[in-house]
Amino acid sequence: MEFFNVFGDLAGGFATALQPFNILMLFVGVMLGLVVGVLPGLGGTSAVAILLPVTVIIARTSPTSAVILLAGVYWGALFGGVVTSILFNIPGEPWSVVLLFDGFPLAKRKGKPGVALASSFFASFVGAFFATVLFTFLSKALADFALSFGPPELFAVFVMSFATLIGLGAESPAKAVMMIGFGLLLAALGFDTITGQPRLTFGQVGLLAGIGFVPVTIGLFGIGEIIASAEESGIGFMERLSARVGFKDILETLGELRKRLGLVISTGIIGFFFGVLPGHGATAGSFLGYGLARSYSKNKEDFGKGEISGIMAPQAAADAAAVGSLVPMISLGVPGSPTSAVIMAGLFIWGLTPGPLLFVEHHDFVWGLIASIYVGHLMTFLICLAAVPLLASIMRIPYAILTPFIILISIIGSYSLNNSMLDVFITIVFGLIGYWLRKMKYPLAPLVVAIVLGDSTERTFRQSLIASGGSPAIFVGTPIAAILLTLAVALLLVPLIRSLRSRGRRAEPDFDVSTAID
Amino acid sequence: MRPYQVATAVAFALVAAVAMIDSRAGALVDRTGREPGGVGAGFYPFWSAALMFVCAAVVAYRAWKTPTPGTSAFEGREAVMAVAKLIVPMVIAAASILVLGFYLMTGLYMGLFARWIGRYRWIWVAALTVGMPAAIYATFEIGFRVTLPKSFLYDAGILPF
Repeated sequence: MEFFNVFGDLAGGFATALQPFNILMLFVGVMLGLVVGVLPGLGGTSAVAILLPVTVIIARTSPTSAVILLAGVYWGALFGGVVTSILFNIPGEPWSVVLLFDGFPLAKRKGKPGVALASSFFASFVGAFFATVLFTFLSKALADFALSFGPPELFAVFVMSFATLIGLGAESPAKAVMMIGFGLLLAALGFDTITGQPRLTFGQVGLLAGIGFVPVTIGLFGIGEIIASAEESGIGFMERLSARVGFKDILETLGELRKRLGLVISTGIIGFFFGVLPGHGATAGSFLGYGLARSYSKNKEDFGKGEISGIMAPQAAADAAAVGSLVPMISLGVPGSPTSAVIMAGLFIWGLTPGPLLFVEHHDFVWGLIASIYVGHLMTFLICLAAVPLLASIMRIPYAILTPFIILISIIGSYSLNNSMLDVFITIVFGLIGYWLRKMKYPLAPLVVAIVLGDSTERTFRQSLIASGGSPAIFVGTPIAAILLTLAVALLLVPLIRSLRSRGRRAEPDFDVSTAID
Repeated sequence: MRPYQVATAVAFALVAAVAMIDSRAGALVDRTGREPGGVGAGFYPFWSAALMFVCAAVVAYRAWKTPTPGTSAFEGREAVMAVAKLIVPMVIAAASILVLGFYLMTGLYMGLFARWIGRYRWIWVAALTVGMPAAIYATFEIGFRVTLPKSFLYDAGILPF
């Protein structure tokens, strides 16, 4: 019966998502996402962060329209990054880095840029579609289950999120823990919500309210990325191809897709579940998809030379992981990726509390968002097929105009939320910190997730102790909390086991998923 | 790269140490019953900072012990210049908002980039200097009703921003 209720809820969601204003918001979000996806100096996460203050105005009338706009940016950026990887050999987004391996070779060496682009667009769409179907049926069930959680269980969920970032993500677990500690400190700054005492303010009145998440994120991602990009563009060069996706390309791609449908669907499903894990968004998903396709291929030697499976599998997994990263945000109040962390911060700003109660208290909001994922991906897919030359032309906006413009928009974004110049200075300072951390190979995902979850983690920790009269046994007093904390400990042991296993043999360079920014 | 890795980790360790000192009063579990649940306001920041301190020390030690090729953090002078050309005007522009307001700063900042980095003709520089603040004013101030900082000329009643 519950199963059939989902169809009714989804139909209601489509009625919300297909309202003219929401379609407009989705279109605007997707177009913005495509633009930032194409531009190497600006990522989907930064664009979502910069747009947060604007969404406050939209959310006054409809929070659903606001979240549809932000999610649209995410979907658009997922597709947009593909274009520059395949045509210019420059990844527009971290998740399109993997397309350099086979996308550019197929476009250049084999002279098939249209097929390379269409392959990635079709795979993205198929992967995202299957992931959204899973999202539709699993998120409600997960939220229903999470409704029974009290503070100890929620604390265990947050601890497990951090453990996942350390255990499965980081090349350097010490750096990841450092970033988590730093994020928790930033979140703790200001008034203590339980006792009302000021913390870490050093007598500065401006810091009593704490440091806002939005200016920090705009700095870390928006300004940090643009500085990193300035350094790279000063020393790099660009190889450009031009292309459009013709009818012949689409027919050829459909033939190739039919041969690889099983691969695309399976990497999409695996990518979805990978995306559900906190901190593992589209970038990690794309590398996972590529690795799976290569491992199970009979033509391993073709990879790196323009193999279509090397384009389709990572794209399907990346999009599916991005969709999956929204599941824990909606169902548990835990962000699955940095981008979903920023969207989650938006929910807080609009007065909503992410987590299982969203399904109960804001039913239309949740189902409107879920339905908009279907509509958003279809819209992005169709726009991409039609507008490749236009998207490629965005790359030709001169650096001297684009760079100051992005900085100005970042300043507007950080200032306008609280009309505070302190927020602007925080953005600039964190821009410099974000740039330097990237350079020193510190993972930013644990930092962002810790800033977002810091308050909730502390609150549930202290609520649990207050409820138990100060006894820490409460954290293992219920089966769910005990299991989750045991899993967290097991995850924290993974780097140790990995290091013991690799001792004595030459370590191969691994992709560090926790440095991925999506 | 090694000295920079060590210096970065040491900087984080110092930040953590300062936070630990600031919140040391609540570091231990309270047995007197004054703090609800036995945990005061300083407990959580103290142990977060302690975690950060220990890991920063580990990272600094490893960076110190692990030999890495090259000593510079940048790939040549061009890279340093590219970063400096972006950071210095950005910091000055952000600070100048306090006096010039957002719109005057925007005009000057866009004009500077167009002429200095883009080497555009003066006509294009002038168009960007006037056009960009006007476009932002129309979009944010009029369209979204987002009020941005105004200049001293606005206070004197000379300019609308």
